[in-house]
Amino acid sequence: MTAAVDIRDFVVAYETGGGAVFALDGIDLAIGAGETLGIVGESGSGKSTLGMAIGRLLAPNARIDAGDILVAGCSVTTSDDETVRRLRRERLGFVFQNPMSALDPTMRIGRQVALAMEGTPDTAAVERLLVRAGLDEPGRVARSFPHELSGGMAQRVVIALAIARNPQILIADEPTASLDASIRDRILDLLFAMRAETGASLVILSHDLRMIVHRCERVIVMYGGRIVEMGESQAVFGSPAHPYTRALIRAAAGNEAPGEQLDPIPGVPPVLRAPSADCAFAPRCAHAAERCRRERPAERAVGGSRVACHFAEEIMAASGTAREVAE
Amino acid sequence: MRLIYFLAPRLLIAAITMFGVALLVFLSLRLIPGGYADIVLGPFATGAARDLLIQRYGLDEPIFVQFGKWLWALLQGDFGNSMVTNKPVIDEFLRRAPVTGELAILTLLLALAIGLPLGVWSGLAEGGAGGKGRLGRLVGALGASVPDFVIGSAFIFIFSKWSLGLKVGGFVPLDQGLWDNLKTMILPTVSLSVFAIALFLRTTRDAVLRVMTDGHILAAVARGQRPRDIVRHHVLRNAAIPVVTVTATYFGFLLGGAVIAEVLFSIPGVGYYIFSSLEERDYAVVQAGVLLAAFVFVSLNMVADFAYALIDPRIGAARSGT
Amino acid sequence: MIALASARLGRFFRRDSLGLLGAVLLLVLLILGIFGDLLPLGDPNAIGAGPRLGAPSLAFPLGTDDLGRSYLPRVVEGIGVTFLLSAIAVIITAVIGTLLGMAAGYLHGATDHLIARIADILFAFPALLFGLLAAAVIGPGSIAAIVVISTATIPLFIRVVRSVTLSVAEREFVVAAVVSGASTWRVMLVHLLPNILGAAIIQLTYALSVSMIIESALSFLGLGVQPPAASLGSLLRLGSVYLTIAPWLVLAPGLVLAAAIMSINLLGDAIRDALDPLRGRSLK
Repeated sequence: MTAAVDIRDFVVAYETGGGAVFALDGIDLAIGAGETLGIVGESGSGKSTLGMAIGRLLAPNARIDAGDILVAGCSVTTSDDETVRRLRRERLGFVFQNPMSALDPTMRIGRQVALAMEGTPDTAAVERLLVRAGLDEPGRVARSFPHELSGGMAQRVVIALAIARNPQILIADEPTASLDASIRDRILDLLFAMRAETGASLVILSHDLRMIVHRCERVIVMYGGRIVEMGESQAVFGSPAHPYTRALIRAAAGNEAPGEQLDPIPGVPPVLRAPSADCAFAPRCAHAAERCRRERPAERAVGGSRVACHFAEEIMAASGTAREVAE
Repeated sequence: MRLIYFLAPRLLIAAITMFGVALLVFLSLRLIPGGYADIVLGPFATGAARDLLIQRYGLDEPIFVQFGKWLWALLQGDFGNSMVTNKPVIDEFLRRAPVTGELAILTLLLALAIGLPLGVWSGLAEGGAGGKGRLGRLVGALGASVPDFVIGSAFIFIFSKWSLGLKVGGFVPLDQGLWDNLKTMILPTVSLSVFAIALFLRTTRDAVLRVMTDGHILAAVARGQRPRDIVRHHVLRNAAIPVVTVTATYFGFLLGGAVIAEVLFSIPGVGYYIFSSLEERDYAVVQAGVLLAAFVFVSLNMVADFAYALIDPRIGAARSGT
Repeated sequence: MIALASARLGRFFRRDSLGLLGAVLLLVLLILGIFGDLLPLGDPNAIGAGPRLGAPSLAFPLGTDDLGRSYLPRVVEGIGVTFLLSAIAVIITAVIGTLLGMAAGYLHGATDHLIARIADILFAFPALLFGLLAAAVIGPGSIAAIVVISTATIPLFIRVVRSVTLSVAEREFVVAAVVSGASTWRVMLVHLLPNILGAAIIQLTYALSVSMIIESALSFLGLGVQPPAASLGSLLRLGSVYLTIAPWLVLAPGLVLAAAIMSINLLGDAIRDALDPLRGRSLK
């Protein structure tokens, strides 16, 4: 499997009025060509920073402290502006959380789509692309302004813009978070259908572990700017090794028996002032021991997954499989 | 249809505003100690002149009747007669309006030609790594700090001390030759433009910066569109809205308020007329001047609202419910 | 507490050299304006202290005016008068503008409409022409200048405070206070006011800058401060009469006035950037 995106020991900090805050704390990750990858984490886990970094789209106050990202073998951090622009245009496609703010409010949809396509496409080509994105009345949509569309239709337009040049990597950051619950599944169906059609890799960032496990081949769990667990979806969900993953599964709605209470994760995500020298999850972890507050856990193979926890094996053995926890 | 729904309430508001201005102007001249007649006639007027004035303006009638009559006359274009020449004030204003209009248009064109590109450049530069935008900020703060009469005075000193081809004063009307006319208009135009350039620079820079934080700009960057295409297609149009408002407001200010530049450079426009009338205690002119300037200002704001609706398709849609 | 505040202030100015320049300039001018008469600069009103329209010299660093008065203490006095008049006008503007703006934004309905119309009407008055009218009605002088400046700066103040109030009033803590039965006054003073102060302070600096321009323009036209008192504008008015023979009479107050307004503009921009940072992204 050749890597479409290769992320190596990547560290990003944001300069804020109160000093630097680290968002990514040493990420190593290879995204395979054509794979579907879900990245799960709470807000503040660094998953959006990771998604944006792949297209060198970080905010101006972001600072890359170490590491590199290669897209199709080309460094995103060191290449010149024109090379990166080409990468974005030809290889990457982004789908954003809020479709309404991702569309220019003063321009008709048809023209925005035409600008995203190659060359100077005619009306028919624009409408064909809109149909591909599942819009039934492409003519009417093309003549509309963004505020005249529903959220779901607008997100279909955003997806059409993302696939306009048949990218090799689609990155979708919480693509359904701002939409009505009733249409979320259909938008996800469209995303995965587009992936299948174009053969692109699809990276979905979400806090919805169930959806990710259900739809993606591989899942990554992020916490405090690090990857804490990574593996085949069924393996991670079926036998989670990291206490945070287990807590996420317990906290997720949809797993509870009738009458059973949801089990929220106590505490709040950390604000990292420096790369963490210990386990960032330790303050919220029921299994944390002295070692966790002293030594940074390395990523290693546990069961079928890769896990960054000192006590992954013990925890798995002691508390049985997550399937029992979940069911 | 959209525009009608959008404009109808605005027309109403403009009418209410004008009514309020008229009421305030009326009251300010009538409800002062000593009364209108004393102000108009001065302390040494004869009883006969007083009686004549009281009869003519109906000053012995209840105040709201006076206001009604006065307003009715206004609506028919009767802004009263000059107390000095006894001729209709409005004629004098209309005669001088083209001169003030020329000065305002020249100033606006010069200020937009320089301020807009500088503002866009400054906003784009600041949006990047920063640093370069500092220069724009400094120029903006500096230009907005030097009042027109300071620059005008400096010009008068420089150009009357050394003959540099431009005349100070000695206005030449437009119909006596474009170039001769322009030569007398350049200095007042530039004096007025310095503040205006800074104003447009600051407004445009802020507007550009605000657009640059919008999600659709990030989306365009993420699609790999060329920077200059993003500016051309997405930044400029979205940034235009606040700039249009400020342009209309400032044009209104120039048409009614370029008093100092006209006085300094002896340009026989509306501002000069009002100012010299005040020195002759011709309050009818001052009163009409304020009313006309406010009317022009309100009308221009209506035009700006109309321009908005053309630029931003969202405006008006919310009201009409489509 | 003080240490924390000064540390913040220090960081604020390190990040913003232009803001620091403005603050220092403003401080120097304020000290000159307020304590100028305590400095050994000479008597601003001593007629015949030197030659008439004398050029700058060691004894008279800024020269002398048409009555032989030393110009340096007069300019320093002018700074004080210009600042004082503008400050009084802007304080009036801030109080009225904040109250009306908050009332319009929080009370909605008829109150909102009424205040919006008042702001529209005041906004439509051309400041200088209104100054001419005010001079005609209440006579030229400081009071007329203050009335004109406040009238010119209140409408924008109302609009800014109103729009900020609208967005603050939707936040949870305000809604919670309303639900828990706090009185309208209490909500406005305890919950809304502290949260609109930032926007009000930004608007205040802009209003102050505009005030100084209007004040000096009115005085320049002879409608503001009356002799023997002098603001920077009235000094400019006098100086412009002798422009060709004694240009320093215009140069000194002109430069000082520009420096004063610029100091406020630079400081205002810096405060705005700190409170409401607009970080656009690079297009590259």
